[in-house]
Amino acid sequence: MTDTHQSRVSSQAGLGRTLWNALWPVLVAVLCGLVMHLAIGPWAGGYASTVMVACAINVVLAVSLTVVNGFAGQFSLGHAGFMAIGGYTAAGIVYYGSLLMWGDASPSGSVLSASFDEVAGRPWLAAGDALFVVACLVGGLMAAIAGYVVGLPSLRLRGDYLAIVTLGFGEIVRVLLQGTKGQIQPWKMSELAETPGWRLPLHLGGPQGFNLLPVYTTLFWATAAMTLSAIVIYRLKYSALGREFLSVREDEIAAQAMGVNVTRAKVRAFVVAATFAGIAGGLYGHLTGTMNATELDFKRSIEIVIMVVLGGMGSISGAAMAAVLLTILPELLRDPPAIWPAGLLVLAIVTFTQWRRRRFSWPVLTGIIVATIVFEVGRRVAIAHAVDLADYRLVIYALLLILMMLLRPDGLFGVHEFWDVLGLRRVPRPGIDGRSEVEA
Amino acid sequence: MTAVAPESQSRPLLDVRGLRKSFGGLSAVQGFSLPLPERGLYGLIGPNGAGKTTVFNLLTGVYTPDEGAIRLGDRPLAGLNPHQIALAGMSRTFQNIRLFGELSVLQNVQLACALRTKRHLFWTLLRTAGSLHREAEVRARSLELLELFHLQHRAHEPARSLPYGHQRKLEIVRALATQPKVLLLDEPAAGMNPQEKRQLGETIRHIRDTFDVAILLIEHDMGLVMDICERITVLDHGETIAVGSPREIQADAHVIKAYLGAADQL
Repeated sequence: MTDTHQSRVSSQAGLGRTLWNALWPVLVAVLCGLVMHLAIGPWAGGYASTVMVACAINVVLAVSLTVVNGFAGQFSLGHAGFMAIGGYTAAGIVYYGSLLMWGDASPSGSVLSASFDEVAGRPWLAAGDALFVVACLVGGLMAAIAGYVVGLPSLRLRGDYLAIVTLGFGEIVRVLLQGTKGQIQPWKMSELAETPGWRLPLHLGGPQGFNLLPVYTTLFWATAAMTLSAIVIYRLKYSALGREFLSVREDEIAAQAMGVNVTRAKVRAFVVAATFAGIAGGLYGHLTGTMNATELDFKRSIEIVIMVVLGGMGSISGAAMAAVLLTILPELLRDPPAIWPAGLLVLAIVTFTQWRRRRFSWPVLTGIIVATIVFEVGRRVAIAHAVDLADYRLVIYALLLILMMLLRPDGLFGVHEFWDVLGLRRVPRPGIDGRSEVEA
Repeated sequence: MTAVAPESQSRPLLDVRGLRKSFGGLSAVQGFSLPLPERGLYGLIGPNGAGKTTVFNLLTGVYTPDEGAIRLGDRPLAGLNPHQIALAGMSRTFQNIRLFGELSVLQNVQLACALRTKRHLFWTLLRTAGSLHREAEVRARSLELLELFHLQHRAHEPARSLPYGHQRKLEIVRALATQPKVLLLDEPAAGMNPQEKRQLGETIRHIRDTFDVAILLIEHDMGLVMDICERITVLDHGETIAVGSPREIQADAHVIKAYLGAADQL
């Protein structure tokens, strides 16, 4: 009754709202990208910029894997495989596309696709950017198709068995890519002219890797992709579909009984996750100009899984923070800086959180203080005895991982987002609203 | 079939005929038939291991029956997937509570409530006005339902943090949110005290009247079953040993034998 009335009224404003909702994430992504690329990147310097790009790509990977491992509760170990598929697809399109169109594999991008010391004299938009963006999107599409194919067996398999299948998938992708023929070098244009177009996907560099790719990935593209993926996956989490995924994780039988098509939910989760992994793969390849399947192996998948687990299975912001933390940590450990300011900051945040919830947990607070002091003392001792901590950084990294898993087995935030944990939104507290028990 | 039935009764809403299911050599249910009319409130009782929950699992598609037919209205259900059966209008609660524990109370209901609304992946991600509208509608309807059952205060708490009785209630709310024609309740009174049980009886009758559903109830508490059910089917070792009104069942020799043992064995 009122429903039809409402929908008729809202259909006028509906189109505008639809367009706005479809567009603003892109605008925000572009804006964030521009700020990072033109302001923060140049200020931070080349090395820091590269680390930030790596962070952004890892955030895309971790956040997308959250959909499968976190929301839908399916344990996938093949994320690097999707990344490889997307990356190689994008690389093939950009590399051979550039050669065929411009006879040259050097980048012909705009300001957006150049690092800040090469910006001078470039246009604001260029054909190379379009090629790169389209290539990344096609890479995402190919990965999505692969995600569909991998999603299908997940209907029958659970837990460890699914993990094994996805692991196998990742390895198959890697081996197949390593088995491709050598790439057609840019100086052999005649060979390129002789090769029919449909055979080009067979020439993806093989065991030597796919090299000499034009470098397009900058802080702009990486940040934009990161922002966009975070917004899209946030929308997914807080929608009817996101609830479907979560219900499959919580209890498949109950989900089915409530009308959830479990099969379709799982496949959808895989498709969404794979799409973003594919895009991240495209960004990854065009960052250094090299795609090498050897690097996109099982270990890479595990790294992404660690980020998701550490962030909390199902927390978007948690996975993103864990991705940033785990990307920066090995870099920081090259030359361990004084940690006590960071320790104080964490202490302040945690204290604030607990104060908001009126629930202080002294072991956690003292734990942070002790950890900070131990690390700081260790660092001072190492400096005093002229021990180079950088040599031990992987050991320290591993130790920190173990510590974090021991201290926070549910990850940083569990299934929640950090703003839930900080208490920025008003969520009814059990103690106060618990009165209804008596009257009911 | 031109002759009009004497009581002008059409076919029952849920028509189950000759259901059989065996696991390996063990026959769990056989020859189970049940005509459940619209707005009927029927009971299903029997000693432990009699096959009651198996019947529910057969009806809701968790198991596929070896033999027999299930019809809901005009639609044959045997062999369909659980989610198709839910969509066709059969909903259930579980004997051992199966809520989505980490999700909030509201989300539990929203999930079930969204069953009959469109959920397109692409439109969801774009957040079109239509998808937002549908989402808002589902939310409003879910809150309304929670309010009816006095659970709205706890809407944002995780479901697992609810006290036991509330969890049982939430399961019923969630099942109702799918807008079923038939509601299957699997031991809703388990673990409740006598006063709660009496209230539950009221609630169940109330649900039947307000939501216009037919209810099939599995229950061990005889007081509750005899009090609210119109007809009762008694199972023992997978076979139907008696069907009738509560009074008939109480007097039935087979039933007494199944529950207490035969007179000569005593």
